[in-house]
Amino acid sequence: MSDVWITGIGLVTALGPDRETTWRHLVAGLSGIRPLTLFDPAGFRTGIAAQVDDTALPPVDTPRHASRATRFSLVAAVEALSDAGLPTDAQPRPWALVMGGGAAGLFETEGFIARRLRRGQQARGLTEFLELLQDSPTDRLASRFGLGGSRLTVTTACSSSTLAVGMAAEMIVDGLAPVALAGGTDAICRLTHAGFNSLRAADLRPCRPFDRTRQGLTIGEGAAVLVLEDADHARTRGATPYARVLGYGTTNDAFHMTQPEPSGEAWARTIQAALADAGIGPDEVDYINAHGTATEQNDAAECAAYQRVFGARLARLPVSSVKGALGHCLCGAGGIEAAITALAISRQIVPPTAGFRDADPACPVDPVAGSGRPHTIRNALSSSFAFGGNSGVLALGSYS
Amino acid sequence: MSRHDLFICSVGVVSPAGTGVERLVAALADPAWEPTVGLDRPDGPPLPVAVCHDFSPRNVLSPMVARRLDRPAKLLAVAAREALAAIGDPLPWDRTQVGITSGTWNAGTSALVDVLRAVFLTSPEEAPPAQFPSTVANAPASQLGILERLGGPNLTFAEKQASGLRAVIEGGRLLTHGRAAAILACGVDEADWLNAEGYARLGVLADAPGHTGMRMGEGAAVLILAPEPIGVPLARLAGWASSGTASEPWLYPDCPDALIDASRRALENAERAPTDVDLVLSLANGIPYLGGLELAALAEVFGDHRPAALSTNERLGEAGFASILRVAVAALVVAGRARPAWTPAPHLAAMGFPPVASQPRTALVTAVAGGGSSLAVVLTAV
Repeated sequence: MSDVWITGIGLVTALGPDRETTWRHLVAGLSGIRPLTLFDPAGFRTGIAAQVDDTALPPVDTPRHASRATRFSLVAAVEALSDAGLPTDAQPRPWALVMGGGAAGLFETEGFIARRLRRGQQARGLTEFLELLQDSPTDRLASRFGLGGSRLTVTTACSSSTLAVGMAAEMIVDGLAPVALAGGTDAICRLTHAGFNSLRAADLRPCRPFDRTRQGLTIGEGAAVLVLEDADHARTRGATPYARVLGYGTTNDAFHMTQPEPSGEAWARTIQAALADAGIGPDEVDYINAHGTATEQNDAAECAAYQRVFGARLARLPVSSVKGALGHCLCGAGGIEAAITALAISRQIVPPTAGFRDADPACPVDPVAGSGRPHTIRNALSSSFAFGGNSGVLALGSYS
Repeated sequence: MSRHDLFICSVGVVSPAGTGVERLVAALADPAWEPTVGLDRPDGPPLPVAVCHDFSPRNVLSPMVARRLDRPAKLLAVAAREALAAIGDPLPWDRTQVGITSGTWNAGTSALVDVLRAVFLTSPEEAPPAQFPSTVANAPASQLGILERLGGPNLTFAEKQASGLRAVIEGGRLLTHGRAAAILACGVDEADWLNAEGYARLGVLADAPGHTGMRMGEGAAVLILAPEPIGVPLARLAGWASSGTASEPWLYPDCPDALIDASRRALENAERAPTDVDLVLSLANGIPYLGGLELAALAEVFGDHRPAALSTNERLGEAGFASILRVAVAALVVAGRARPAWTPAPHLAAMGFPPVASQPRTALVTAVAGGGSSLAVVLTAV
C-alpha cells in the first residue's frame, strides 16, 4: 500500500467525549465501565456497561431524529476534521466515507418494536423505525459533511470498522479520493445486551482481558472517525500525521458463528496478510492492540494466533486490549482501537489493559498492566476477530 | 483509468421466479409472468412483497444444516450451491483463498424481532441464544463461509437498494488487489414484515389499489468472480464506479448527478463509449420519483442513443439483493443464456428505450440507494 496518512482523529467513548480525554484516562489505567443507566437493566443478567455520558458530548448540528449512534459519529467526525485542519461544513467534496455499522439506531428502534409487539398496528413511531437502517449514520455523515465520493458501510460485526479503515485507505491508494473519513459507531441497545448475556458471554464484573479469571466481555459503545489522507495531499497543505496506514489483512476462519477456531491458524493468516500488505516482517512490529474481548475462548485463540506469527518474540511484545477500559464497542470497536493504535504510535506510549491482574498460561503475552508504558513503536497492529469468523488486522506505522 | 477485466464465471439464484437460474430464465421469457405477492404479518392485511413461495432447501442442504440456518442463510446457501456446482468439484482454487462479499438490506431482522419479542414480552433472560447470532447482517455470508469452508475475505455491506451491487464492486476490488483468488459476490434479503410495514408506513409501497409504489422482494443471487475465466464464463465485469450525493437516509437524492457520475466512470473504466452499451438494466421499482431520476441520468449519459432496456424490479421486487440480481440477469443475457420478453418500464418505453430484441454485448447496471449512494457496473460479452 502506498503512503496513506492518518491526519485527524475523533473519539467518543465511555472514557470521554473526545480524543484527548479518552487518551488521558486510558493511559492512566482508568475504566469507563459503570452501572448501565441507558435503560433499566432489571431482568438482564448483567447491569454494567461502558456507556457514553451523553451529557458531556459537545453540541453538534444533529438531525432531530438522529440516533445516539449517529450523534456519536457526528461528534467524532467534527473533532477528526478539525484536528486534521479540514473544513467541517457541508460544501460538496469528492471524499470517500467508509464506516463500520451494526446496531446503528436500534436502541431507538427498539422503542417502536416494543410498542408494535404490544399494541399491534396502532403503535406509532415511523422515525424510530427508520433509524434501524444500518447505513443510516454513514448517510448522515455524508450529508452533514458534503462527502460525494464512494460511500460504504461495512457490517462484519466486531471487525466492521477495522475493515472500514483498511478499505478506505485502499480507496486512497486506488486514487478514488484524496481524503477519506473512516471508522465506526455503535450504541448500546437491549438486543446486544440481552444477546451476549444469553450466550453467557458477558461477565458479571467489569471485563478483564487476558486475565486468568476472565469470564466474558462488557458491552460498550462509542465512535471513532479517522481522517485518512493521501500523503502528497497532506504534505501540500502542511498537515502532519499521527501514523501511516501500511496495509490490512482479512480472512474468515469458516469455523463457527460464535466460537473462534481455537488453534489460531486462520487468525494467523489474517495477521500474515496484513504484514504482507504492509511490506513488513513480524520483527518490525513493536505493539499489538489486541481484540482481547476477555471471553475465555477469544483471548486464548488470539494469543495462539500471535504465537504462530511472532514465536518466542511474543513474550517481549506488548499486547494490550482497551476493552477493559472501553468495553466492547462492537461495530465501533475496530475504529476506536485503530485510533488508539495511531495515538500510541504518535506518542510512543503503549496503552494498558485495564482490569488485568493475574497472568493466564493460555495467554502468554505482555498485556501491559496498570498504566501506559513508554515504548518505541515503529509499527503496530490493530486486530479484530468477529462473530462469524470475520477477521481484520490493520498495520499502522510511524511517520518518522 | 483501468480495465478490470474480471470474469463472471457462474451464477446461482433463488428469486420469486423460483429456485435456480433456469426458473428465472423461464420467467424472463414469459411476457405475462408475475410472482406470488403477499407477505403475512402478525396483524393487518398482507404486505406487497414478492416472495419465494415454493422455496425449500431440500435436495440442496442436509436437514441438519437446514435446521441451524435461518431463512436468509438458507436462501444464500442454496443460490451459492448452484453457482459453485457450475464451477465443478473440486474448485480450481484453494478454498482459503476464496472470499465472499455480500450485500443485504434486511438480513437479520426476523431474528432480531424474535429476540426482542422475548426481551419485551417475556424477560431478557428468555432471549434465545441460538437466534442471537442470526441478528447480525453478516450471518448469511458467515454461515456460507462455514458451510463451504471458504477462508478468504468475508465482507457484508449494508447500502439498502444498492447493497448487492456494492458486493459486486467490492468483490472486484478485492480481486484486483490480490486479496482473494475468487469471490462469491452475493446479495440476500428475506421477506420480513417489520421492514415491509415500515416502508408501507413511509407510503412507498404499492399496498392498495391505485397506490403507486414499490413491491419489496426476497431472494438471493450469487456471482462467482475470478480474474481468469473458468470454463465458459458468462460475461466480463469490465468496469465499475460509485458516487454519492447528500440525502436523508431513506430518501432518494434530489438530483441525478451521482448516478451520472458513477455511470460515466464505470464506462470509462470499462473503456467503453456510451454508444457501445446495448442493454440497460433499469433500476426502476415502481416509485415514480426514481423513474424520473433514472430518465434524467440516462438522457445525460446516452444523449440520443437508445440501448435496449429491461426492468426486473417491478416484478421481482425491490430489495438489497435486487441490484445483484440485475447483474445476474445482465450476465445471462449477454451470454445468450436468457432472452427476456419483458417490456421496459413505461417511463423508459415512453422515451424510446426498446425491449431486448437482438443479442446485447455490453450492459450497464446501476443502483441508487436511499441516502444518495449511486453505483454502476459495466458487463461485456466474453
